[in-house]
Amino acid sequence: MAETSSFDLLPDEQRLARFMERIETGEKIEADDWMPEDYRMTLIKLISMHGISEIMGALPEKEWVPKAPSLKRKLAIMAKVQDEMGHGQLLLRVAEDLMEPLLKSREHIIQDLLSGKLKFHNVFHMEAKTWGDAGLIGWLVDGAAIITQTNMLNASYGPYARALKRICAEEVFHAQHGEAIIMALAEGTGKQKAMIQDSIDRWWDALLMFFGPGDASTTGTSKQDITMKYKIRTKTNEELRQDFFSKYIPRVLSLGLKLPDETMHFDKTEGLWKYRQPDWSQFKQIIKNNGPKSRERLRLREISYTSNKWVLEALSVRV
Amino acid sequence: MPDKGFYQEFEVFSKRSDASPLQHQFSLLAPNHELALVMAQENFMRREPVSDIWVVKREDIRKMDLEEKQSLKRLDNKDYRNTKGYGYLKKKWRVYEQEILDEREILSWGGEPEK
Repeated sequence: MAETSSFDLLPDEQRLARFMERIETGEKIEADDWMPEDYRMTLIKLISMHGISEIMGALPEKEWVPKAPSLKRKLAIMAKVQDEMGHGQLLLRVAEDLMEPLLKSREHIIQDLLSGKLKFHNVFHMEAKTWGDAGLIGWLVDGAAIITQTNMLNASYGPYARALKRICAEEVFHAQHGEAIIMALAEGTGKQKAMIQDSIDRWWDALLMFFGPGDASTTGTSKQDITMKYKIRTKTNEELRQDFFSKYIPRVLSLGLKLPDETMHFDKTEGLWKYRQPDWSQFKQIIKNNGPKSRERLRLREISYTSNKWVLEALSVRV
Repeated sequence: MPDKGFYQEFEVFSKRSDASPLQHQFSLLAPNHELALVMAQENFMRREPVSDIWVVKREDIRKMDLEEKQSLKRLDNKDYRNTKGYGYLKKKWRVYEQEILDEREILSWGGEPEK
């Protein structure tokens, strides 16, 4: 830690003014810089949730490593699982540096995950039942993730922006890996086509929910305003959801797939996609770890955490 | 520091090829230098070509604080340090029917530039 500088001696409001000025001029905030408490807390929540979601997201996909239909597909999905764990490592580092002044570490992140205090993304509570689901995760779930993550590539917090640059570059592979699976099925037999239609039908609501509710009325709180004020992101949940529709709906339809929402259409005068809202009460339940696979996956994490503890202990022995 | 008994923070640097400069990649947690190297390769070099990796314990790095960084800002009055300050020579040389020996020309004298 550096010595106390004159900046540290300034009253809070002057430090905040200076901080906002830095953000406005596009300067990046670094881990050791002064930052307002709500900026730190918002980032910790956002980034630890993102990091742990990468790790929890690897779980439904890893189930498909032994079941993937060819050696090439097994290798590809294994590489993707490895990437997701790598992204988790990267993001947890960013969160940990922010948590250091609070005397918290990775241990606390894992404990908060297992106790239910730290949430993970709604999509990773769902079951990946078929090979179509494995393809859909790469294509549309990663597609949705790319939309939200590219929106933060210029985030005011430097370490997060740098982590996202690395992550988004790899997400491009993931999306194409998913597209390759979907394309093979879409050009395959009737049974294979039906398989992806079934995946879309089952995953549709989860995909809409991925971007979060439009405002705070659903879950009681929303970090949208604060993340935009501090230039962590630039678009609202609804804007991101609309971007996702614009990018992906034409592709879904071009493959002869049907949207599970017959009301869905693009309103030209408003320039917006009109769609049926998913059941947001279900969303609330899912993120409270009451989703179809929530408990099972948390249990899996807990098992690997406890059963690998001996490695840490063995390595800690000083000889 | 909070329960850092086991894990320590390492900063990771790497070279893309023997001829490239060392570049900072990211940080990681590892119990020692050896595992930090293994983790660095796993975490950051899954696709990019790499010819060397360095890991440095973060506590051994002296960083600049915000105030010190302020001192790095330059006044925009040092044209004489750059070729920008001598740009007028191009026109001058043209009068004498000569080309200016600019940076691109001079650096090409050593043969093919390093890729």
